[in-house]
Amino acid sequence: MNTAAAPLRSAATPARPGAWARRLPLALGTLALFGWLLWSVSSRQALLLLVGVGLGATLAGARFGFTTGWRHLVESRDPAGVYGQIVLLALLAALSMPILAHFPETTAALGPPSISLLVGAFVFGACMQVADGCGSGQLYKAGLGVPLNMAILPLFALGSFVGSAQLNGWLALGATEPVGLVQRWGVGGALAATLAGLAVITLGVGAWSGQHFSVRRIPRRWLWGALGLALLATLNLMIAGQPWGVVYGFGLWGAKAATALGLFDPTQNAFWSDPGHAERLHQTLLLDVTSITNIGILAGALWVAARRPQTPRALTRKQWAIGLVAGFLLGYSSRLAFGCNVGAMVSGISTGSVHGWLWVPMAFLGTLVGLRVRRRFF
Amino acid sequence: MLTTPARRSIFWLLLIAFAAWDYATSAPVNLRLEPPMITAGSGTHASGGHCAMPK
Repeated sequence: MNTAAAPLRSAATPARPGAWARRLPLALGTLALFGWLLWSVSSRQALLLLVGVGLGATLAGARFGFTTGWRHLVESRDPAGVYGQIVLLALLAALSMPILAHFPETTAALGPPSISLLVGAFVFGACMQVADGCGSGQLYKAGLGVPLNMAILPLFALGSFVGSAQLNGWLALGATEPVGLVQRWGVGGALAATLAGLAVITLGVGAWSGQHFSVRRIPRRWLWGALGLALLATLNLMIAGQPWGVVYGFGLWGAKAATALGLFDPTQNAFWSDPGHAERLHQTLLLDVTSITNIGILAGALWVAARRPQTPRALTRKQWAIGLVAGFLLGYSSRLAFGCNVGAMVSGISTGSVHGWLWVPMAFLGTLVGLRVRRRFF
Repeated sequence: MLTTPARRSIFWLLLIAFAAWDYATSAPVNLRLEPPMITAGSGTHASGGHCAMPK
């Protein structure tokens, strides 16, 4: 049994005595980091730290697992998690698309339809089931203290770095220019097309599961999770000017470590020699948008963990090895796929990027394979 | 066998050490070039990295 799959206590479980005492140092630490960022780094980064904390607390508090939702749909014909994700996508699209149209400073999560995207999304979909978590899932479960997910994070960063360093080679296999629906059709057309696409998926999920969509039948944690994530992701778009992302920060951390160890020369690499990436490589990671929200997500999940202590179950050596390899591949494939469930699916679809719509079916096919692997070894 | 609080502590110590090392070895922060607090409506385009970026 995977430690990561060990059931979490219900969000309705009363807080254990002393939970607030354990939270106090965490709250003070977060406030201290917020104040220091505000004073010494950037007010934008300080705000984004708080957004990240909110995202982490919402993901962990609502147990809003993208991976789990897909698994329950396939294995138990339970559509609640996927319906929750569809609500999130619809809400976020309705909030994000007008912002993108109104504020020219903001950008969509536009990835190129490509061979790289198709391969990457398929592998990612498989590995997220084996490693029991996507990009955001790895973060919040690591924050909760799940051993496998804590161990996977450095390998996720390594994989993400290697994937970014080899990205141009993958793009040479075939790619088209990114397609943004808001730019092509305007807010009304893009939002209508997005909601229509989500409605088609909802009908398909209802037909497969035998449980048609009804807000009343979706567990409340999925609904308030979707609402909270949509609001916080919108704040991220307003403050950072770009949609919520996870994977870029990990790749940056890996690139920094590899460069410092003398294992990598960014000036000789097509991706990292690009002026924007090269600048971020020289800056502190505290100035990077996705790095600071990732740190916030970890802290937000730790806040929730103080209330819901974990008792993870032990893994065998083989399970550890398989989980860690899957973690590396998660990082690698998410770079090839131009994002994980957050960067490609949530941010891509909600900002009208066609690459998000290509990501979902490929990742779902990968999930079908990953679930077989999971059943075999975990 | 490490307890969950011990594992969490080690994880956070490593993360903080990495961030501190990075801060110490990276180019100093130039507060005069601070990005706008809210990018939307600021007149300054988003400049962060994102995983959807092909380059």
